[in-house]
Amino acid sequence: MRPSRMRERRTGWVPVWLAVCLVAGPAVAQDRPVADLETREEQAFKEASAVVAPAVVRIQTVGGLDRVGRVLTGTAATTGVVVSPDGYVISSAFNFVSRPASVLVTLSDGRRFPAKIVANDRAKMVTLLKIEAAGLAVPKMAPRDGFRVGQWAIAMGRTYESPLPNLSVGIISALNRIWGRALQTDAKISPANYGGPLVDIQGRVIGVLVPLSQRQAGRTAGVEWYDSGIGFAIPMADILATLPRLKSGKDLLPGLMGITLKAGDVYASAAVIDRVRFNSPAEKSGLQPGDVIASVDGQVIKRLVQVRHALGNKYAGETITVLVKRGEKSVEQKIELTGKLEPYTPTFLGLLPVRKKQGEVSKGVTVRGVLPESPASKAMILPGDRVVQLDDKAVVDTAGLFDVISRRRVGAEVKVHVDRGGAKRTLTAKLAVVPSQVPAVLESDVIVAPDPKPADLPKTGRFNQDLEGHDHSFWAYVPETYNPAHGYGLVVWIHPGSDTMEADIHDLWKPICDERGLILVGPRAKNIAGWSLNEAGFIEALVQEMQQKYRIDSRRVVLHSYSDGCRFSFHLAFKYRSLFRGVAASSEPLRLAPPENRPDLRLQFFLSCGDKDNLHRLVQRTRTRLAAMKFPVVLTTVPGEGHSYPPIPVLDAIARWIDMLDRI
Amino acid sequence: MTAIRVLGMVFTLVASIVVWPSSAVGQSVHSTIQRVQQRTVKVFGAGGIKRLHSYSTGFVVSSAGHVATVWSHVLDTEELTVVLADGRKIRAKVLGAEPQLDLAVLELNAEALELPAWDLEADSSDAGPGTRVLGFSNMFRVATGDEMVSVLHGVVAAKAPLATRSGAFETSYEGTAYIVDAVTNNPGAGGGVLTTRGGRLLGMIGKELRNAASNTWVNYAVPISELKQPIQQIIAGKYRARQRGADDKDAVPRFRPLEFGIVLVPDVLFRTPAFIDRVQPGSVAATAGLQPDDLVLFVNGDLVQSCRVLKRRLGRLDAGGTLKLTVRRGDKLVPVELPVPDKPLTPAPGQPKTKPSAGSK
Repeated sequence: MRPSRMRERRTGWVPVWLAVCLVAGPAVAQDRPVADLETREEQAFKEASAVVAPAVVRIQTVGGLDRVGRVLTGTAATTGVVVSPDGYVISSAFNFVSRPASVLVTLSDGRRFPAKIVANDRAKMVTLLKIEAAGLAVPKMAPRDGFRVGQWAIAMGRTYESPLPNLSVGIISALNRIWGRALQTDAKISPANYGGPLVDIQGRVIGVLVPLSQRQAGRTAGVEWYDSGIGFAIPMADILATLPRLKSGKDLLPGLMGITLKAGDVYASAAVIDRVRFNSPAEKSGLQPGDVIASVDGQVIKRLVQVRHALGNKYAGETITVLVKRGEKSVEQKIELTGKLEPYTPTFLGLLPVRKKQGEVSKGVTVRGVLPESPASKAMILPGDRVVQLDDKAVVDTAGLFDVISRRRVGAEVKVHVDRGGAKRTLTAKLAVVPSQVPAVLESDVIVAPDPKPADLPKTGRFNQDLEGHDHSFWAYVPETYNPAHGYGLVVWIHPGSDTMEADIHDLWKPICDERGLILVGPRAKNIAGWSLNEAGFIEALVQEMQQKYRIDSRRVVLHSYSDGCRFSFHLAFKYRSLFRGVAASSEPLRLAPPENRPDLRLQFFLSCGDKDNLHRLVQRTRTRLAAMKFPVVLTTVPGEGHSYPPIPVLDAIARWIDMLDRI
Repeated sequence: MTAIRVLGMVFTLVASIVVWPSSAVGQSVHSTIQRVQQRTVKVFGAGGIKRLHSYSTGFVVSSAGHVATVWSHVLDTEELTVVLADGRKIRAKVLGAEPQLDLAVLELNAEALELPAWDLEADSSDAGPGTRVLGFSNMFRVATGDEMVSVLHGVVAAKAPLATRSGAFETSYEGTAYIVDAVTNNPGAGGGVLTTRGGRLLGMIGKELRNAASNTWVNYAVPISELKQPIQQIIAGKYRARQRGADDKDAVPRFRPLEFGIVLVPDVLFRTPAFIDRVQPGSVAATAGLQPDDLVLFVNGDLVQSCRVLKRRLGRLDAGGTLKLTVRRGDKLVPVELPVPDKPLTPAPGQPKTKPSAGSK
């Protein structure tokens, strides 16, 4: 059949094609009368996949975690692509996210091999495996410069119990996605074909399918887009280019310089360096805050976003040339990128600023309280002092003071200029690390009910509500004395699976809310059995709704959770860094890799656990892991308690912790 | 190899002459869609509360007014209505069902309908991965009144069994299914049809289904070859529902690792790998050469991913046969065979002493 077509092809594929022909034969034959372009395209899909099929392998994993964060990791089979005849197989890192005890590779001919994980590319999220086999079929690669948006792209997997690989047909829908790392396809990409090849109509491998997200990093990022028509593939050419390095067994890390750029419209603003990380390659090479990046490796940089594009495909260990404008001067630097930056360590002065009421204007930051044993207390700063200047920077408001302090390093001495009853004083404080204890006593900032009561006061007390535009409901408690002139802290209660604990949480937290000026809101999972990752948007919307209805102090918005509810609250805290300032998590360890600590978006943790709880050791490890990333973290162990919601003294400590989240 | 190819040609030639009906020859996709939509109906019945949709889809399988549809809660009512392609509303009743295939056949309550209908013998076909397909359904109840049902396009992703023995899917249908790369299985889409672009009937779109193993939704259709006979028999009034095998989920395990002399590592995690902790001296496991630290990977050819699954597999073994295990020892896969004892375990303590049929089927 079709001798002309067959002659066009190379010899090696003929037997394979024949096999497909036999299996799928009848259907093709019956559709023959509709001999149009579509039918021939369909035939081409089948032929292209048949050419690559021998190199598409099935991967099964044994043992390992059942979930990573809130993502249930599959025990289902996944896919890989043979990249060298001597047994190297590339796959998506997602497939190994559960850290399996054993990995098995089944070749297209049914032979089965135990596999070793050789190395991971942590920028492109692919994993290299090795099996002890030889003479394997390696697919042809499609040249990178031939990619065209709109060309056919066939996604292949080998996850079903069928002799043929599974297919999904689409087109290349975009190039240079995720900072130049991936191309996009509208073929259906899901765990059914992660790790499999994306193939062109000639049967050449375009790339390897992976879940990715431009907003998040990590091995499960982008999974929520499965089967949506948004899928990503790492170009095979790029993978083969890094193959020798991966074969050496060392993980490839995204290359970092250690700078943050001044916030602005990423597509319009120039790339001005805002912060230079301590001990980073950028600092060692002498880059300074205020430098404007003009080019990277000869690529001209006019806009902020171009820096990310220029660095997207760079790995740790590679050297780049950066040209910066410093005032009138141009400075060129060679910078060797690193895979790991020293984490940012938040600094601590130890004073509680007065919370300004609505409409209240005053210059400087007035001190409400000074924390015991803090640098501020040692420098003899007193309640009532008004901080007007720090070193050479004038202090206008709390945010400004926080910004200046966050740019100093632990151990640095700062000159604090205060106005004490009209008299100017200059005090010297040595900045410290944030203490890992909550003071035993912390006076609350008392709020009195508004008098007279405004007519348009939003709902107070305990109430139930549906969130408009979402298929979700929530409950909330707002102190009866709610006074819109004051900023309130917001506690978002993330309930554990199968129990919203509403009555208990309300009863325990009502007095705390009244005392500390907090509003409590309790979203309900759609399925009471537990939270699913895609409910994150609802929580975000709920917080924004509360911020709109009530006067919420953005520095005291926290997530509180118990048991497996914490998995979702950790996820939320890491996903919405600009929304949440703290997580109070009880009786549950962190199962995600903690993100980078950011100086501009403060995030703090309060962990608690009974010492008889099976998870106690893991919670202690969580403290260590968070502390290693330099997040301020408090761990309270409850003696004699098993796996249970924390008792009142611990809740009081959480309340004090929340009440000092706006400390400087 | 040439001989095979020639043979294949002869076969396909014959097939195209004999099987192809004149009505479907040379159709464009446009006329295919029109033709299929005429044969697809909307089904309205029970539901409407708490995310249970009250509608589904059906396809006309006789001009006298028989409609095949998916077996679901929607049919659980006296007030069943079918809306034909031309918008006519007709009362219907369930004539018969095969819950194991998720299939039901409805009879329309009207005389002399003369509906355009699928000829299940002549109009159906079979397809492999990569074949372009169309899905027709009343998904999300988008089409109202005489509006035509919605069409989706895609390719057959795979033709494979849905229910693996690892229990990845919770479905009553356990046979081979078409898995599709279009999102065909939406609320209300069950009972719709999957066809080729040439208008050949491939399968009936199933219910919404989650793959518990990969935690994703699966889009599938039950092949018409599985449904043809039951549909015809139900219409003819000759159908007897299949006997469902007793659910072995709650059955008393018939064998434990200990019967073979295997002591597994403590099962502390949800997915503890099935490592052998100890092998009892003199046991069949010792004779077969199993060793501590061997990781049991396959039981009679099926992958076991944890202690729990291994125990479940052993629990279902037939007495007196051979147990084939593949273990990973270091970097090698080692196959071993063990004789299965002739007598299954007596019910464990705490279980009812006499449980008829359990453990003896």
